[in-house]
Order: sequence, then C-alpha cells, then structure tokens
Amino acid sequence: MAHLKGQGKTFIFPVFIMGSFCITILAGLLGTLLPSLNYLPVIGHTQISLKPWLDFFSYPGIKTSIRVTLFSGLATSFGVVSLAFLFISFFYGNALWKFFEKILSPVLSIPHAAFAIGFGFLIAPSGWLVRMVSPGMTGFVYPPDWVFLNDPEGVSLAIGLVIKEFPFLIMVAMGALGQLEIEKTILAGKALGYQKEQVWLKILIPRLYPHLRLSIFAIIAYSLSVVDMAIILGPSSPPTLAVLILKWFNDPDVNFKLMAAAGSLFLFSMVGLSILFVFFMERAVCFFLRFRITNGKRRSFPARFKSIVFFMVAGIIFFTGAASVVLVIWSVTWRWQFPDVFPIVWTLKLWAKGLASSFDPVMTTVITGMASAFIGLVLTIGCLEHDADSKKNQTLNYNTYIHYFLYLPLLIPQITFMAGIQLSLVILGMDGYWITLVWSHLLFVLPYMFISLSATYRAYDTRFTDQAMLLKRSYPSVLFRVKLPMLLKPVLFSFAIGFCVSVAQYIPTMLVGAGRFSTITTQVVNLASGSDRRAIAVYALIQQSLAMIIYAVAVISPKILYYNKKGMQV
Amino acid sequence: MKRLFLILLGMIFLSGFSQAFAQDWDKIVKKAKGQTVYFNAWGGSQPINEYIRWAGEQVQKKYKVRVIHVKATDIGDVVSRILVEKAAKKNKNGSVDLMWINGENFKAMKENKLLYGPFSQELPNYRLVDTENKKTVLYDFTVPVDNMESPWGMAQLVFLYNTKNMATHPESMSDLLLFARNHPGRFTYPAIPAFHGTTFIKQALYELIKDPRVLDHPVVLPDFEKNTRPLWDFLDKLHPFLWRKGKTFPASGSQMLSLLNDNEIFISLSFNPNSASNAIENGELPDTIRTYIHTTGTIGNSHFVAIPFNSSAREGAMVFANFLLSPMAQARKADPKIWGDPTVLDTRKLKGRDKALFDAVPKGIATLTPKELGRVLPEPHVSWVDALEKEWLKRYSK
Amino acid sequence: MPLELENISILKQESSLFDPLTLVIGPGEVATVMGPSGCGKSTLLSAVSGSLDKVFTLKGSIRLDGQDMLSLPMEERNIGILFQDDLLFPHMDIGKNLAFAIPPQKSRVKKNQIINTALKTAGLEGFANRDPSSLSGGQKARISLLRSLLAKPRALLLDEPFSSLDQTLKKKIRSFVFSQIKKMNIPALLVTHDPKDCPEGGVVINLNKEDNLYA
Repeated sequence: MAHLKGQGKTFIFPVFIMGSFCITILAGLLGTLLPSLNYLPVIGHTQISLKPWLDFFSYPGIKTSIRVTLFSGLATSFGVVSLAFLFISFFYGNALWKFFEKILSPVLSIPHAAFAIGFGFLIAPSGWLVRMVSPGMTGFVYPPDWVFLNDPEGVSLAIGLVIKEFPFLIMVAMGALGQLEIEKTILAGKALGYQKEQVWLKILIPRLYPHLRLSIFAIIAYSLSVVDMAIILGPSSPPTLAVLILKWFNDPDVNFKLMAAAGSLFLFSMVGLSILFVFFMERAVCFFLRFRITNGKRRSFPARFKSIVFFMVAGIIFFTGAASVVLVIWSVTWRWQFPDVFPIVWTLKLWAKGLASSFDPVMTTVITGMASAFIGLVLTIGCLEHDADSKKNQTLNYNTYIHYFLYLPLLIPQITFMAGIQLSLVILGMDGYWITLVWSHLLFVLPYMFISLSATYRAYDTRFTDQAMLLKRSYPSVLFRVKLPMLLKPVLFSFAIGFCVSVAQYIPTMLVGAGRFSTITTQVVNLASGSDRRAIAVYALIQQSLAMIIYAVAVISPKILYYNKKGMQV
Repeated sequence: MKRLFLILLGMIFLSGFSQAFAQDWDKIVKKAKGQTVYFNAWGGSQPINEYIRWAGEQVQKKYKVRVIHVKATDIGDVVSRILVEKAAKKNKNGSVDLMWINGENFKAMKENKLLYGPFSQELPNYRLVDTENKKTVLYDFTVPVDNMESPWGMAQLVFLYNTKNMATHPESMSDLLLFARNHPGRFTYPAIPAFHGTTFIKQALYELIKDPRVLDHPVVLPDFEKNTRPLWDFLDKLHPFLWRKGKTFPASGSQMLSLLNDNEIFISLSFNPNSASNAIENGELPDTIRTYIHTTGTIGNSHFVAIPFNSSAREGAMVFANFLLSPMAQARKADPKIWGDPTVLDTRKLKGRDKALFDAVPKGIATLTPKELGRVLPEPHVSWVDALEKEWLKRYSK
Repeated sequence: MPLELENISILKQESSLFDPLTLVIGPGEVATVMGPSGCGKSTLLSAVSGSLDKVFTLKGSIRLDGQDMLSLPMEERNIGILFQDDLLFPHMDIGKNLAFAIPPQKSRVKKNQIINTALKTAGLEGFANRDPSSLSGGQKARISLLRSLLAKPRALLLDEPFSSLDQTLKKKIRSFVFSQIKKMNIPALLVTHDPKDCPEGGVVINLNKEDNLYA
C-alpha cells in the first residue's frame, strides 16, 4: 500500500542483475570446464578425458609456479589486512590518517600496470633508488647483480601488490567506519581503563571486519590471479600460475588451450580454497580470541608496533608517489642510463608522438567508461531504490543475496571465465560489438560501484523523501529532484569509480572486443610488452590522468554546484 | 621457324596471362575500395606502430582502403581468437582481415585450416620478392609457405654489445661462455618459450651439435638426448655466470633491451639486424652500442602477413599486403631511422626510381653490412622448437 | 471537509499500541493527541498519511471529506505532514523549496508570485534566494509550514513541530501555524508530548492503553 508509484517495480533491477550475472558467468565457466575435460570439437577433441589435467600437473615447474602463486597471493592478502587493521587502530583520525584520506583518490586511480612499471624501476638494481646513491656512496659504476626484482619467490611481486591493494582496503574501511560509533565506543572503552588501540582491536575491528569481508576475499582472488603486475614484477621461470595460463591460452599450439582451461580452473579452486581457509580462520580466531577480548587485560602490547606501522604506511605512500614521479621523468626522457640520477637528455618528443597517436584510444576509453559507469549507476540506484522500497514495505528484498552475485566476477579469476565468455559470444555472433564490450566491463564496474554507493545510499534520511512525496506526489520527481541531488557527491564518486574500473579492463577488452576496440589500457599493456619505458610512461600517464580527471570532476563539481549551500557541504 | 613460332605463341600466352592477371588485380582493387582492413599486428614498438600508421594512410589515399591497426601483445592471442571463431562456425565477417605472422603461429594456422588460401602470387609486387636468395620467404620455419602468407620482412639473429663496456666481442658460443666467466652477471637470454630465448638456444644448438644436418629434419626422439647433450652441457656451464646467476630470466627480448640500456647486461640479442641502429636513433640505446654475429653465421627467417579464412575484407587485405611489398614501402621500412627492417625484395630487380629509393636508405650506425652479416643459418625443422622448449623447461624452470 | 478517525487501532504482532481511537476534526480545527514518547503517536500519523510501516496492522477507518483514505496510496491522499525537523531540502534555496511544493502552474511568473506572497505572510520577504542553512530555527519552521501548505493539502498532520524550538520562539510559531491552518480552512491533527503545544479550545485526547504503565 505504501509502495510509491514506480518504486514498487524497482525489484526488476536486482533480479536483472542476478539473472544476467549468473548466466554470463555460468556460460564463461562452462566454456572453460568443457575444454579442461578434453572437449573442444574444433581442434578435434571430442573424447572426454582427464588428459588436460594430467598434462597440467606434469608441466615442468608447475609445482614451483603454484607455490609462488600461493605465497605471493596469501602473503599479500595477509599483509594488506593486518597492516590495514593496525593502521586503523593506531592512526584513525590523526594526521597521518587524514593525509592518507586526502591522497586516497589519486592513489587509487593509478593503474596497476603503470604503478608496477614505476615501482619496478624504483627497486631494480639499476633503478632509481640505487642510482641516487651511485656511484658516490656505493661505488657502483655498473648496477649490482642483486636478485631484487622478479625474484623467483615472488617477494617483490607481493610487496608491489600490498602497496597497491592497501589503499583499496582502506577506502572500503573508510566507508564502513562511518557506520560505527567510533568516538562513543572509544570514550566508553577509555572510561573502562582500556587504551584507544585496545578498544580498536578488541571491539571496533571485530565489528568492522564483517563490512570488509567480501573486499578481503576480492583481494585474495585478485592477488592470486593478477596478470599484468605479475608479468612486470613477478618471476619468469616459472612465472605465476595466472601468467602461465595466459601464455598457454595464447600459445599457437592449440592443444595448450586444453591445459590452460584445466589450469585456470585449478587457479579458481586455489582462490576458492584460500577464501574458504580464511573463512574458517575467521571462525577459529573468533572462537579463540573471544576469551582474549573479554579477559579484561588492559596492557598495550601492540603499541610498540606503532612506529613499525607508521614506517610501513609511510613507505607505501612514498613508493606510490615515487613510482608516479619516476614515470613522469621517464616520459620526458630522451637518454637516461645507469648510474645517472636524472636523464642526461630531456625531450618532449615522446609526449608529442603519444598525444597524437592516443587520441582515438582515449576517445574509445572515455566513451566506453562513461557508458559503463552510467549504466552501472542506473542499475546500482535501481537496486538501492528497491532496497529502500522493500525495507519500508517489509516486502521481499531481492537485494539480500545480490552481493553473492555481484562479487562473483571479482572472486573468479578473470582468465577462468573470460575465455569461456568469448567463446559463447562468438557462438551467438555477439563478439566485437561495442555493447557487449560495455556489458563485459559492467561485470567489474557494477560491483565496485555498488560497494562504493550502497552504504551512503542506505544511510539516507528517508524523512526527506517522505516529506517530498507528500508535497509532490510523484516518485520520479522526488527521486530526481530531491534524493539524487542530495546524494550527488556519493553518486558522482561512485560514477568515477565505475569509470576508472572500466578504464583499467584489459582482458575483457581484448577477448570480448575481439581486439577491435583499442583503449588506452590495451595500448599501455601492448607497449609494456616492448622495451621503451619512455613511451610506456607517456601512455601510462595519459591513462592515469583520465582516471584523475574524472575523480577531480566528481569531487569538485558538487562543491561548485552547491558552493552556496552550506547544508550540502558535510 | 618453329622455335620462333613457339616463342611467339609463348609471348602471346604470357601477355594474355599478364593481362588477365592485371584484370584480376584491377577487379580486386575495385572491390577493395571502401573496405576496412583490421590488421592485427604486435603493437609493442612505437616506431613499428608509426610505420604501420603511415602505410595505412597511404592505402587510404591511393586505394580508399581503410586500415586499422589492431595492436596485439602476442599474436598467438589472435590465432586463438580466429580458432574460437572457427569453433563457433563464424565463417564470414571474422574479426581479423590481415595479420602479421610467422613460424609457429603460421604453422598452427595452416594446420588448423585457419588461412584463406594461396593469395600472394596474385599480388603484382610479389614478383619483386627475392625468392631465389632469400629461401626463408618460401619456407617459414621450414613449413612451406604455399603462398598462404605474403612476405613482409627479413630477420637475422644479431648480438648487441656496448663498446664502452667491452673492447672485443665473442665470436662463438664458447667465446660467449668465456665472456660470461670473466663478466659474471652481464649476459642472459629471455626465458623459454619467449621467442628470442628459443632462438638463442637454437643458435647454440647449431653451433654445438655434432652434425647440424639433423636439424633440417623432424626431431627423432631416441636421438634427441644424444644430439642435444652438448647444448645442455653448455647451458649448465653458462647459467651460473648469467644475470641473476640464472635464477631468473628476462621475460622477453624487449626486456633485454632495457637491461642493456640500464647497463645491467653487456650483451643482448635481437632478431632485427637494424634494431640497434633504430634504438640509437630514437634514444632507446646509447650510440656506443654495436652489433655482431658469430662466425658460424646466425639463424635467420622471414616474417609475413596472412589473411584468415573468415576475413571480411579479403580484397582490401590483399591491396594492403601488396602495398607493403611495394619498393616505396619496403625502402621506408628498411630505413633505420623509421624501423630498419630488412627488405624481402630483390633490389637488383629494381630500376630507376625504385632503385634510387633503396640506394637512399642510410646504413645504420650499428648495422652490419650484408657481407658482415654473412651466412644465414636456416631455422631448424619446426618440430625442434617444441622439443627444445620442453626440455629446457624441464631442466631450468623448476 | 472533516477528517474522521473511527475506531482506529494499530497492532504490532497482535498487540495494539493504544486503545481504539475515534476522532472527528472539522475544517480549520486543530485536534491534539497527547502521550509520552513511544506510545504510538507518530505511528498514528503515518497511518493517516499512508506511510505506515508494514510491520504494523491497521484497524478501523479513516475518512477525509467522506472519502475512504485507507484504500488510497500515500500520494493520492493529499495529506501534508509537518515534522519536528524542518526537513528543508538542503540543496535548494528557499524559493526552490517552496516551488517544489506548488502544483504545476501556467507560468513561472505566477509561481514566483505565489512564492513571494507566501514569504510575505511569514514576514520573510526577499528570502527566496537564501540558503536554508543560513536561516534561524524559527524561520526554517515557518518556511517548512509554508511549504506544506503550498502543496494544497486537504488535511495537515503535525508531528511535534515545535519541540525543537525555544520557549519564546515556540509561542510565535505556534500562533503562526494555527492561524495559517485556520486561513486554509483544513483539519489538522497535532501529536505532542508537551501540553503547552495544544491550541486553546481544541480537542485534546490522551493516547493510552488500559494496561499502560503511564495510564
């Protein structure tokens, strides 16, 4: 009865999303499962067997590859999560935290590949850091032969991943922390004689964790299956599993595809088991730590970690900043050799060339990103409106399970289902169309937009819409003239995130776009397969500036629009 | 009298043929007008990308054929896509019209019937190709080309070294081992199965194997171990003295170039005799880099462009392939300032303006003369690639 | 145009919040429902306005001008509410806030006229371009009422509209609200816990339950 006209129909949004995500991903998985069982009629394999799996497990170096993948993936996840919790506990609300909050958007907008290239050049034995002290302090006329970068164990890869994923988790945490009554809890804790850090670790972090759980799972999945960063920072013989699988998929010997399919399913199961492991760890920690939490002890054991955490976070900020700076320098370099601290010959030639040849890819990127983010926004708002409607009317909320569907594309390695999706699209004659490209981007755009918008959207004071409804009696005009304008800031921010996620897509763009859509990111990855750091830097910076511009627009335009509305500037 | 008659008859026939030929080609050019050619080619090099853009602009102007360079990171990727299209019975309007290809990728395309068919003989400029001295334009990694791909450029393995760091350069694999011992950590090669890595071990095998003639034939498994023993012994000795002590290898030939520029390694390798000159020209390498080859000669091959079976712009693709073979395009490509990719044409067949074009191509600062480049070793039979790669991985990728 | 509540009771999980309530409010009259917080006053208002949460069950009948309200959705009831908080839309200036409530007009000039007249009656002339957050509490309360009335409601519900105002302000606003209601000649239902909020001479009903602790 209290359904607003129109709002009651919003249930189609979550239903549509769940249905289409489910179908797309199932099609993708099926397209991988069958070849992994030796079924790929086009190359004459119709006899179901386990041969691809046996081939996979007997591939030379596969055990090392699996071990390195597991190590770098789990070390990254563990590092990011524990560092994030310690950082929040020690520094929430203080100067370092506020500084981090300020730089978060630009930091997040740095594309993974661009960061990896910059970071790799920083830490390489011939890299910028060694150049700064050479030969003066080190005596190195030639770079030392240290196994720093691309180390066989994947340590440099894990460090790079931690630096890149840490800000992401902090961003998610910032959204969730707004919903906890932090000041009050800390005051109450302090009144009981606990230190601030103790209150965090014993009370607030356990309450924060459920909000971060899915994002942590996504980090696990990402760090186990990352390709671009692993190529740049990871080992090469053997490389990590995801890189190996991609190589097999691209091998001219078509029989490798079967093995690649088996391998990608194995990678998927590694992700699944790791998530399951963390899930049980979580239960176990809950079980064993509940005594610790209530043991009443008030000593401040973690306090001595404070300076360590400070240096680690400062290190993350430093490396992220320096990686960008080094890209800027490379982009205006003509000649730069070890051990010179700066280039000996500078030039703007690479920029002139890069800007001239990047116009078309930039346009494709912008149009695709805008379209994906816009459709993503419509779907996200539709879902959240359904949410509001069903909450009010106590009707069935289709959003209850939507997370599980939305997160699927983030939890399944891209290579596991994208190749299968490509096959299905070709069968349907739908590959190489712009609209399918946008849809493939939406698989990744939508979850991030949903995560970023849902908390603020749900926290919206519905009395405003109630009042507006009584005044205007028209749902669309209440939604478009009152609710969305009031939520302009988070809506635009979510749009910017969607745009940036779309910009970053490489595998879907290549596979679903049939190579016909060249975006700035496909250009960066292509150039990264070459050797010219200067050209790579120019393109990576163009890619990064696209993301930064949209973030800036998202942050600044509400300020301009509402410059004289104090009530909107909270 | 009878002979004259026969000659005349022959001439009539021939002129008829060439007329028919010209007519066919005219038809193709006519049909190509307005087509869009999706040219899938590796996009990792700015100079090459720029050259392709230039060539595209030319055929747009001359033939109204629009060329779009689809930049691939790995052409195997494109082979995959065409295979998927075949799986889905997409026999028309495929996503690829022309692709840059050779070696294993060509073999895979040919075996899986992913190629359009013989076409290069129909290209007017194909007649200028040096099929006599450049055998690799007929046998791509020993696989018969059968006109299913049109030659585009020549390649030969060369080593790059920095004269600032070393006065002399090795002249054989055993020299190289000696160099590595004296300069630990200053040489490496890309991890197998990266193209340049595989080529390096093939070259080593050529130099070390007792009887190189077995390489012309398919691998005979029982003899493989015996034949390749010297190679593995050599690598076992070499690896401890490699960059990062052989614990890790660069991922690609391109990465080798960065390492050379960073002074991490002193010797690198390339498949383009002009690549050092080109890299010096555009600032990627210092001007103290020079190239050399081993006295035994080095492995050479050709690279091609091919039309997939389901191309939607076959005629346009042929027009573009023909343009790529034109003296104008080939001479520009050979210029180290532009790209420096050696021509597939027989420059002796050229006359007048066409010849002048090639005469005007400067010799790059680090480029060897044709004489210095000397003997080109043929690629081993294509079956060796797989066997060598497998064995290498088993031994060194643990 | 009387607003009639007949035998109204609201149930949550089978137990009713208060004793059945019957009340008739004539046009221009303000009836008051009193009761401590948590007794279901606001719930009663949402039942009348049509925004009642589905956890509640409503019994009885509500008629406005003889028309059954319960069968109508919220947007067709045409009943306005004034809350304790002003709920002025922060992203619009005062003029736009008022304009939002005005039913479609033929011309912009006409709309502006209506806004200016309304502002004049509240003694807030020239406030059309002001930012809501720059207004004092009393000014906001008056704008909020004006806005509710500009939507031309057939009845007005007042949900503790004065409780956030200080004593001196409260008096002024109260008389302004009641005079406006009289002028519009519509029935109004006020809920409050403060006896001082009630209009003189109006009906006052204490909302309670027989077994209520406060009864």
